[in-house]
Amino acid sequence: MNTLRLYSVLLGARLRSQMQYRGSFLLDLLGTMLGTLTYFLALAAVISRFGGIGGWTLWEVAFLYGLAETSFGLMDLVWGGYDYDFFSPRIRSGEFDQMLLRPLPLPLQILTSEFALRRLGRIAQGLAIFALSAHLSGVDWTAAKLLYLPVVIASSMAFFAALYVVGSTVCFWTIERLEVFNLLTYGGAEMLSYPMHIYHPWLTRFFTFVVPAAIQVYYPALYFLGKPDLTGMPGFMSFLAPFTGFGCLALSFAFWRFGVRHYQSTGT
Amino acid sequence: MYWALARLSFQRQLAYRTANVAGLVTNLFFGALRAYVLIALFGAREAVAGYDVRAAVTYTGITQAMLSFLAAFGWWEIIRSVRTGQVATDLSRPVDFFWYHAAQDFGRALAQLLLRGLPLIALYALAYRIAVPPTPLHWLALPLSLALGLLISFAWRFLVNLTAFWTVDAMGIGRVASNLVLFLSGFIMPLAFFPDWAQAGLRFLPFASMVNAPVEVYLGVVQGPALVLTLLLQALWAVVLVLLSRVVLAAGVRRLVVQGG
Repeated sequence: MNTLRLYSVLLGARLRSQMQYRGSFLLDLLGTMLGTLTYFLALAAVISRFGGIGGWTLWEVAFLYGLAETSFGLMDLVWGGYDYDFFSPRIRSGEFDQMLLRPLPLPLQILTSEFALRRLGRIAQGLAIFALSAHLSGVDWTAAKLLYLPVVIASSMAFFAALYVVGSTVCFWTIERLEVFNLLTYGGAEMLSYPMHIYHPWLTRFFTFVVPAAIQVYYPALYFLGKPDLTGMPGFMSFLAPFTGFGCLALSFAFWRFGVRHYQSTGT
Repeated sequence: MYWALARLSFQRQLAYRTANVAGLVTNLFFGALRAYVLIALFGAREAVAGYDVRAAVTYTGITQAMLSFLAAFGWWEIIRSVRTGQVATDLSRPVDFFWYHAAQDFGRALAQLLLRGLPLIALYALAYRIAVPPTPLHWLALPLSLALGLLISFAWRFLVNLTAFWTVDAMGIGRVASNLVLFLSGFIMPLAFFPDWAQAGLRFLPFASMVNAPVEVYLGVVQGPALVLTLLLQALWAVVLVLLSRVVLAAGVRRLVVQGG
């Protein structure tokens, strides 16, 4: 309980400091919103001109996009501290060494070290597109689906968070962030915006069995939308999301603890 | 003088080898991703808006090859120099401020074209059956169109950076601006696939002249009079934006307050 109180105190300080410059904040909010919204607009313009993609309508694709964007955006807001883009400079500058010395839980310090409200811009557009598509794609919302939806979002958040944690842990050895992780995070998020059967089977397999991104978004979406699976997987694939999502997060934290134990400071 | 600046900037880029390889892998991945999407969009269609599948796939390769050439994700040299106060030194140099930055950017761009652009096209040629410029005229027009695209892109980035002379929020404005450019220039999807009403406007904006125009010259989508008009529109935007940069710079210098240290 004490940890939770500390979290809210530290977070409150972060949030207040961000609201000091209201003009800058609104501009940043707009920037993050446009960054992803323009991508969707380009996608929507082209898909509507071609009348669908691989047997999926625009709004069915928007459902995938909205689900992936909302989960990634929410995760990015809460887990921003583990974003390797922000974490690797903390190793280089020695700030991480200071964190190790403080009598506070390490994850608590890292999570509250970065909490950018401007990410609400991305979440808002993701949610708006998701809400529209959930209506316009003609999903038959049953009670089971409504109950499963928050589980899927939470699991996807856990999965994306695991990517951040692994990306940051690797920095213990490399110091510099590895750009390759952007392929998994940003690339993964973009890939998840389309039905998986349009990709080469090996790419789909990689993002199912090695990095289970498709299990978090695509296969659950098949269940919500009632679409047939063209990748030749069994039907229960739609329900593995919580296991793979939280499983990945647990594994990533095991790796993180291993990394912290073997951490050698850069000496700065 | 400007030549030396460009050359130094070119050589600086050569030093970052691992970063360039990592960047190349990233470009290839995102390019391939969009190629899959376009192939799926085409489905059984032969041609859409003057593009066949081959041209569309090539489009994804060339835009990715141009990303770092045009520094499309942002270029904040002047914003940074205003923040650090370095801008005062730069302005008092006996060289023109605009061309001082332009020369360095062209050196950087050329290095990026050679280190990331060409290898990416080569990798694309291995993975896909890509299109090449159809006639010698298109081969000749391509470097001209690329150079004009770079000049327009630079002048635009220069203008966006100059907002730092007026506001401390220049970085935020810059992010909004570079997101708009990615969208409006045809980086994400070919402008030819946008709805007709949107295309009519977008094609005449300077953003289309940065990316969409050179790619369509390469692909031979524009031919004959259309090719000449494309190049003329690019030249027009280059002149307009360079002149505008100079006017805004002159106004900005009068307004600039450099904080000590």
